[in-house]
Order: sequence, then C-alpha cells, then structure tokens
Amino acid sequence: MKKLFALLLCAAMTAAMLTGCGEKTPEAQSAVEEKEDVSETAQEGGKKTFTVGFDAEFPPYGYMDDNGEYVGFDLSLAQEVCDRNGWELVKQPINWDTKDMELSSGAIDCIWNGFTINGREEEYTWSVPYVDNSQVFVVAADAGIASSADLAGKVVAVQADSSALAALNSEENAEMTATFGSLNQFADYNTAFMDLEAGSVDAVAMDIGVANYQIESREAGKFVILDDYISTEQYGVGFFLGNKELRDQVQNTLFEMLEDGTFAKIAEEWGLSDVVCLSADEK
Amino acid sequence: MDSLTMLKQLGEGMIVTGEIFFLTLLFALPLGLVIAFGRMAKNPILRTVSKIYISIMRGTPLMLQLIVVYFAPYYVFGIKMGSGYRMVAVILGFVLNYAAYFAEIYRAGIQAIPAGQHEAAQVLGYSKGQTFFKIILPQVIKRILPPVTNEVITLVKDTSLAFVLTVAEMFTLAKQVAAAQTTVIPLMVAGLFYYIFNLLVAFVMEAIEKKLAYYR
Repeated sequence: MKKLFALLLCAAMTAAMLTGCGEKTPEAQSAVEEKEDVSETAQEGGKKTFTVGFDAEFPPYGYMDDNGEYVGFDLSLAQEVCDRNGWELVKQPINWDTKDMELSSGAIDCIWNGFTINGREEEYTWSVPYVDNSQVFVVAADAGIASSADLAGKVVAVQADSSALAALNSEENAEMTATFGSLNQFADYNTAFMDLEAGSVDAVAMDIGVANYQIESREAGKFVILDDYISTEQYGVGFFLGNKELRDQVQNTLFEMLEDGTFAKIAEEWGLSDVVCLSADEK
Repeated sequence: MDSLTMLKQLGEGMIVTGEIFFLTLLFALPLGLVIAFGRMAKNPILRTVSKIYISIMRGTPLMLQLIVVYFAPYYVFGIKMGSGYRMVAVILGFVLNYAAYFAEIYRAGIQAIPAGQHEAAQVLGYSKGQTFFKIILPQVIKRILPPVTNEVITLVKDTSLAFVLTVAEMFTLAKQVAAAQTTVIPLMVAGLFYYIFNLLVAFVMEAIEKKLAYYR
C-alpha cells in the first residue's frame, strides 16, 4: 500500500514538473500546429470549409432538432450555398454576446442567423436582405395589455445585444422605452418566455418570426403579439467588414437559388414564405 | 420529443462535461502544487509572482478568464486560432483558475505540519526531498482532502461556464434543447445530472478519506 502510494505521488510530481515547466505553451503550440494542419489539408483537398456562426437557441432560423442536429432556415440556405460551391459547411453555434470577436478572430466566416441589418449597416459587409422582419412585443393574453402605451411602468424583457434592444434604444422609440418600469436583458428567449409565463416580466420584445414560433409551440392562446410594431427591419448575412469576395460569392449563389426556385422551396419548408424578401432587383 | 431522445442529446453533453472535469483535475492538481511551492519560496521574486498570479485568478470571474484565454491569441498576438481552439481554451482557462485555488489549499496543508517534524527528520538524516515526500506530503494529502472535495464539487458545477465559448457541454445543450422544444424539462434533467455527478464525487472522496485515515 505504501509503495503504491509513493508511486502515485511520484507520478503526480512528474506530471507537476512537466506541466510546471511547460507552462502550457507546448499544449497551445500543438493546438496551433494542429489547426494549421487542418487548414492546409483543407486547401490541398480542394474542399474549402465555410463556417457559419449562429445562435443555436434561435428557432426557426437556427436551433437543435429532435435528433440533436443543428437545423433551421438559415442553415438550410447555407447548406445549399455550400453544396453549389463545393464547400464543406461547418455549423458553429456561437455565444451571441461574443459574435463580433468570433468573426474578427476568424473562428467563423459569417454570421447567418436571423441577423438584422438595420442599425448595423457600417459594422459588417452585408449580403442583400433576404428576410423582412419586424420587432414586436409579445405579452400574456390575459394581462390586459393591448398596445405599447399600456407597457408604461411594466417590466419588458429583451435579448442582450439583440436588434430588438437596438430598436428599443433607437431615437424613434426612446420616448416609449423611457416609460417602461424596467428593461431586462436576457441571454436567450426561452428564459425570457419562462419569466413571461411566471409573470415576472410583462412583455418580451423580439423578432416576429421567432415570436410566431415561440407562441405556436407553447400553450395555444396564452400569448399574443401586440399590433403596434417596435420597428420593421430586414435580415441579411453578415461578413467581416471588407470581406466582399466571400460576400459576393455567397450572394450570387443565393440569386441562383432564387432564379431556379430553390430559395422559395426552402422558405416554404420552414414556413417563412410570408416574410422572405430576397429580390433579384437589388442585384 | 420523447425523453429518450432528449437524454441521448444531453448524453453527448455529459461526455464533454466529464472531459472538462477530468482534464482540469489532471492538470490543475499538480500545477497547484508547483504554484504552492512558488508561493512559499524563499526567493522574493518567485514568491511575489505566485502571489500576484493567485490574486488575479481568484479575483476575476472564471467566465471572463475563459473569454480572455480564447480571444487573447487573436486580439493580443494577432494569431487566428480557429474553432478547434475552443476546447483547448476551456481546459486551459479552467486549469489556470483551479490551480490557483489548489495552490492555497496545498499551502495551508503544508504549513499546518509542525516545524518539529522537519527538525526531527533532519536529525534522523533525511534530506529535504525525502522529508517532503516521505513525511510531510502524505500527511498534507490527508488533511487537505475536505477542502479539495469542496473545490472538486464546485468544478463540476463550474463546467457549465464553458457555454460562453459555446463548447457543447451539458448545460449548453440543455439550453439549446430547451429553446428548441420550448420547455424547461431539459434544464431540470441537467440539474439532476449535476447533482448525481456530485453525489458520486462526494462518495469517492469520502472513500479516499477513509482509506487514508489509517492512524485513527
């Protein structure tokens, strides 16, 4: 027993010295080398990877389905674009708060996930808008809230760093936002809806497409969308500022898909035919 | 979605959570001992550096440290690490953070051994290395087991912080499943999983404690 113990201690110490002296750089370095290897083989093999960053908690644009696969309208579009260009699609779920860091550090090639153009025009290189989307309030049906004016003094929830938040903070809506009791920022919509259900928030501000999905998949008649919209806006694919080459390639493929009807077919599959707005006129 | 598919989805996350847990312990426990030596060193530079290191690691949120470890290569050195670096960054962040806590636990244990034992060992002709490994460390390990158990249990729950780098560990997946199915059940399942994992940890640590209590 004692010998075994001593042996274990020796092993622990050796490990200690190795880790201590190495200070982790070998590990980090090997990670760099590995990464380089991957990209090299990717280039040599001729199969380019196209990494799409998306919020995996944003149905129906990007989420996890019953089989544990990441699916959604945007991911279906991305898959089709990749198939046509001979690229390999990498679906990378990202933390929405750190999306800019992910994009500029090159961990992802684009943000394609119900990504609102309005208000961010100068921050990314955008594709043409492909979904017309509005920001709305969702309230409990029995709360007696009929318009945004009724939200005065109430608690309103919104996703952190989302376009709904940007819309609420914009100049046109500043007056209305000021009347709220408080504006709570949530990490994801599921939590916000749980709070809405529990009554600790009175309204959730979000994209209409997501709002419809949430309302449909929850108990019928429990939640309603207010008639007065916070703002109307459009979705596009966001690329790193200045990355026009990749943008053009993706965009042209999208136009191809529009012409042969694939785009409309995918939109129909996801029940989004009413909101898509990709138009060849903007070519 | 039936509960079986949900469990299958969460199961993949459990494996990743286990991976983070075991790799962190594997590297942080020995690294902690090294830092503890630095903290107790006679050399003032070594001592101060260790002290500052511990102070920073304990004084800033682990979530922030993970973000820094992951994004620093690009923002500080301009190196694009790519997505494969995610998991490495998580392990690195956890190891660096937990080693600081373990270092202080080791120090407490080592300094709790009466000076008389060092003197007695010296009289008996033990070298410094022998004294430490044959006399001091075995006693230290026995004494620090309860606080180490505390840290290990905290680590099990802290693995959920890997979600900031969207490593698909248990909690990240539970949140994604919850969002897609618009239900809270996956979160409850996740909670149950952490609890059972920690019961197991507590059980194992208690067994080790009993095994080492050979003088009682």
